[in-house]
Amino acid sequence: MASIEPFNRLVRLAARAFYDDISMKGDNQPKTSRGDNRGMAVVVLDALTRRQWVREEDLAKALKLHSKQLRRILRFFEEEKLVTRDHRKESAKGAKAHNVAAAAVASDGPPVTKEGEEKIKMHTHSYCCLDYAQICDVVRYRIHRMKKKLKDELDSRNTIQHYICPSCNKRYSAFDALQLVSYTDEYFHCETCNGELVAESDKLASEEMGDGDDNVRKRRREKLKDMQQRIEEQLKPLVAQLERVKNLPAPEFGSLQTWERANIGAFAHGDPSVADSSRNSQGQYGTPMPYMGETKVEVEMLGDGVKEEGTESGKNGSELKVLPPWMIKDGMNLTKEQRGETSKASKLDEKSEAKDDKKQDSKDDQIIQEEYIKAYYEALRKKQEEEEAKRRMQQEGETIVSDSQSERQVGKKYKREDEDEGNATEQYKLADLNAEAQESGDDEDDYVWEEGSVE
Amino acid sequence: MFFHIVLERNMQLHPRHFGPHLRDKLVSKLIKDVEGTCSGRHGFVVAITGVEDIGKGLIREGTGYVTFPVKYQCVVFRPFKGEILEAVVTMVNKMGFFAEAGPVQIFVSNHLIPDDMEFQSGDVPNYTTSDGSVKIQKESEVRLKIIGTRVDATEIFCIGTIKDDFLGVISDPGAAV
Ligand SMILES: [Zn+2]
Repeated sequence: MASIEPFNRLVRLAARAFYDDISMKGDNQPKTSRGDNRGMAVVVLDALTRRQWVREEDLAKALKLHSKQLRRILRFFEEEKLVTRDHRKESAKGAKAHNVAAAAVASDGPPVTKEGEEKIKMHTHSYCCLDYAQICDVVRYRIHRMKKKLKDELDSRNTIQHYICPSCNKRYSAFDALQLVSYTDEYFHCETCNGELVAESDKLASEEMGDGDDNVRKRRREKLKDMQQRIEEQLKPLVAQLERVKNLPAPEFGSLQTWERANIGAFAHGDPSVADSSRNSQGQYGTPMPYMGETKVEVEMLGDGVKEEGTESGKNGSELKVLPPWMIKDGMNLTKEQRGETSKASKLDEKSEAKDDKKQDSKDDQIIQEEYIKAYYEALRKKQEEEEAKRRMQQEGETIVSDSQSERQVGKKYKREDEDEGNATEQYKLADLNAEAQESGDDEDDYVWEEGSVE
Repeated sequence: MFFHIVLERNMQLHPRHFGPHLRDKLVSKLIKDVEGTCSGRHGFVVAITGVEDIGKGLIREGTGYVTFPVKYQCVVFRPFKGEILEAVVTMVNKMGFFAEAGPVQIFVSNHLIPDDMEFQSGDVPNYTTSDGSVKIQKESEVRLKIIGTRVDATEIFCIGTIKDDFLGVISDPGAAV
């Protein structure tokens, strides 16, 4: 699941950098200072970072904007490729469906208004949503174009060179080059007086002031350089944020319909945690996140878990707090396997099983193997105990083993023994020895543990 | 850019060609007249690929010549601003260099040559980087971008640049030998 916060930061930075002074005026609106709504664009973008798909009327209400005004801004952002919009005809019922989806998602958003939707008439409603992936591209492209334009002007790139004859002041352009070539030297020569032509520098200067005054040219150049510098400076945070976001998967809400379906589905469970898990299982698709705060925490926890598995450190104290002790047992075994300590054993186990398959009739072999495995698990158990002890030192006071949990473990063990009896073939027994040997060890551990925790 | 288009032309044929091979004569004359020419509108006619239709001939009074309206398909080459072309350098001087891409002449002025390339005069005038690794001289092949075209009725002349990403020498004759 993608974290949305870096992307929201990007949007907010871009809004302030580029849409700060965008004024959304109607054509017939008087251009008085009162009608000046510059900055509104930023407000709208900011509001959208706190929402996903939102009905434009609701957004207008929340922002205390006239819906026409808001629509004008949104249309502008749609053209700027920052916002995706969707329009559809729907009855009040359909609108409610959206509200349900929105309620499943938003909670720091505006209170979802439900008034005036009792009419059965069909209305066209517009929805909008930020298109994060595209925003990244658009912002990057915009910065690139800005820089390139200035650089090209500074380098006088893509400009047609002009030449001037110092003696008769006749001007030529590079298009005349063929006629100006002299075969006696390396220069261009005037067609009328055969004077050596000089290149006229800077198209910009000549554009501004006619024939180039050196001072004007210099000033223009300085202005460009200054502009370049200011771009570097002022866009620094934005560029940094772009860089940060570059390798993150952009939040994807999907189309309005898919988003609604996903969120209604989550909501139907009625339990936010269930909704979360269902969203998780949806993987990439179910990205819709409720309010940003919770999502962030969720992501961080996920990240921690991964880290713990990866770093091979036994100090997973935070995990222990959450999980019941019997789970920790399993988890520990698991991590050990992951560390490759027991992997040898399990492989060996499989091997011996395979062998048994072949020589099921010869009991002697099996007895030897049984002995071997017992010995092996004994050794393994000792090792685990050592590990356990180490760990316990670290976790002291944090772990509490409740009776019910230890009971549950006993129950578990019995169950396995039952299974054992049920399928009393040698092979199964062998495989089960594993569990038995370990569990007997675990039992001991548990007792010690309990005492330890009581202390 | 190349285009496959249909053009029309009125061909005048001498009466001595009137006979069983009139059509062949007309086509061969068309090819001779048209291929290699340039019109400002359509660009250079590279090749005629087919004759679509030959209309009814009209005898011109007094001369006996007959005018046939001929519709023909041809491949034309028309350079555009912004287009990337590969061209062969034909001349290098202090002001820049000239290059040819088929029938099109292109001039690249020295301010559109990368700043790290310096003009070196001598027997073989050239533009060379300071470390000598890249050299533009006569017969060098360069990839350039057209930044301006001047289209006359019978001529197209282009201004190019090699001061941009992925432009410049693509093979130089010195290294190839
Ligand atoms: Zn002159």
